[in-house]
Amino acid sequence: MVATAGPAFAGAPSTQDAMVEVRDLVKIYRGGVRAVDAISFAVREGEFFGFLGPNGAGKTTTIRILATLLRQTSGSAFVAGLDVSTQGPEIRRRIGFAMQSVGLDNLSTGRENLEIIGRLYRMPGRELTRRMDELLQLVNLTDAAKKLVGTYSGGMKRRLDLATALLHRPVVLFLDEPTEGLDPQSRSALWDELRAIGRAGTTMFLTTHYMEEADRLCERVAIIDDGRIVVEGSPAELRRAIGSDLVELRLGADGPSALEERRLDVARLLEDFPPLTRLERVEGGVALYVTGGAEAIPEIVRRLDGNGVTIAALTMSHPTLDDVFLKYTGKRIRAEEANQPLVTWWPE
Amino acid sequence: MIELAYETSLLGAAALRRFFRVPGNWIWIPAFPLIQLIVFSQLFKDIVQLPGFGESSYLAYLAPGQIVFAVFFATSWSGSNLLMHMHTGFLDKLRVAPISRLSILYGELVPLFVECAVMGGIILAVSLLLGASIVTGAGGALVILLLGATFGVAWSGTSFLPALLTRNEQATGGLSLLFMPIAFMSTAFVPSALMPEWLQAFNQVNPISYVIEAMRATMTSGFDWPAIGRALLAVAAVGAVLQTATLWAFRRLATG
Repeated sequence: MVATAGPAFAGAPSTQDAMVEVRDLVKIYRGGVRAVDAISFAVREGEFFGFLGPNGAGKTTTIRILATLLRQTSGSAFVAGLDVSTQGPEIRRRIGFAMQSVGLDNLSTGRENLEIIGRLYRMPGRELTRRMDELLQLVNLTDAAKKLVGTYSGGMKRRLDLATALLHRPVVLFLDEPTEGLDPQSRSALWDELRAIGRAGTTMFLTTHYMEEADRLCERVAIIDDGRIVVEGSPAELRRAIGSDLVELRLGADGPSALEERRLDVARLLEDFPPLTRLERVEGGVALYVTGGAEAIPEIVRRLDGNGVTIAALTMSHPTLDDVFLKYTGKRIRAEEANQPLVTWWPE
Repeated sequence: MIELAYETSLLGAAALRRFFRVPGNWIWIPAFPLIQLIVFSQLFKDIVQLPGFGESSYLAYLAPGQIVFAVFFATSWSGSNLLMHMHTGFLDKLRVAPISRLSILYGELVPLFVECAVMGGIILAVSLLLGASIVTGAGGALVILLLGATFGVAWSGTSFLPALLTRNEQATGGLSLLFMPIAFMSTAFVPSALMPEWLQAFNQVNPISYVIEAMRATMTSGFDWPAIGRALLAVAAVGAVLQTATLWAFRRLATG
């Protein structure tokens, strides 16, 4: 056991049924980078909780402190009622951690990987064998169990890593970007598995920068940016708080310059239209953020159609967590996927 | 303590399985010492006739030094293995397990003893096939290999230390290569009596020479307990410095 030098914490966690509780947590790395800046939050027992934010926001730092892999600079954190700075060994017995990098020994087989972890957790031989069979089946690796992990695909490694984290039936499962680098099919298969594990009563703590992932899996999310939590709530609540719907228009035009002119026309024609809160340039047209989208559409169509703008297609969607993130931080989670805002010419 | 031993044995067994599973380890670790053993024993065959050399077979003279070379190659990847575990995330998987974190380090360190003994054994076996002999018999062979293995475990700090401190592959390769000049200046190839004075002085404090001298005595003249004692003392000194530093660097990991 590595000696713990953290400050002794006086008093018990305030929320009795909190499985994870964090108060004013700060982590400053050697070299001065303030990765986590005084965050506080709690995760209830049995909850599926998500930390949503871009790369470098402090998600991995937080999850590593909670998993006792890293010591905080100040503040306190409790997992299953135990203090991470003084009760590391007790916490480690109760948690599972599936890391972004996966934690596998490539020169051992899938089964050997599970076996050594199971034995280190002191699982009795017969129970371990049964549990390994059960988990290999769950993650669909029974046939590949005797192959060296070095020969596995990325998706197979993920699934095996998840199995090693579940082996000892943890009460809290920490998942750091669990579907990063997976193809869409493997991703949705893994989502199904994670949902099943969550339903069975395990408290789930997930970090992700995929909006859709947080939206589909989490009962509650905290959006983290630049080491701070900017907003917290259920995905539905957060989306509702946005208040506006997304109306996308594909515009009929010959060539890029004509299209750009039509976009400018749209901006001009909708300049004094109160329900419109924001306008963005998207491929083939524009995206409009509109309060009460369904009611506003007839008016939008009337204004544009009669004035030389041809609407080739119109789609309306309710706000996503991406929009929530945009609202609270002023930026998209993934710059490369973000639409370019047309702020340069949108009259303030 | 029993817990630590149990966890170390589990992790150590897995490390051994990994080591012996890689065919390259069987080929590349013995290759360089074997080439030196075979080529030099032919090339410099007559060097033993130099006045003051004091041995009758250069092959027998060379063998102990080449065992130490093999032991060095067997441990020279140990730090890199730890780095590999760091990069694949396996190290973190072990660090979140409810085990003594020291067992993670010892699980890499203890199996080195077996790996060194096996790799040194290959060199010793080839020497015997080529015509060398051990006057002290099987017991002497055991002493030679145990000496080599303890030296390997102690010396592995030169690989673990830069790995833990820099977490950089190139830097890790660098420090352990320090072995090369020290080994070439040792009594692995030429007895101290034939060396210039400054090298003789250097070999007064060269731990590699003490290990080689004890092995050589065991091979060609009999159990020389004072020499074996000096060799163990030299290994203990190397181990105390390097492994204490390694332990310190390993504990430092948690503070990030």
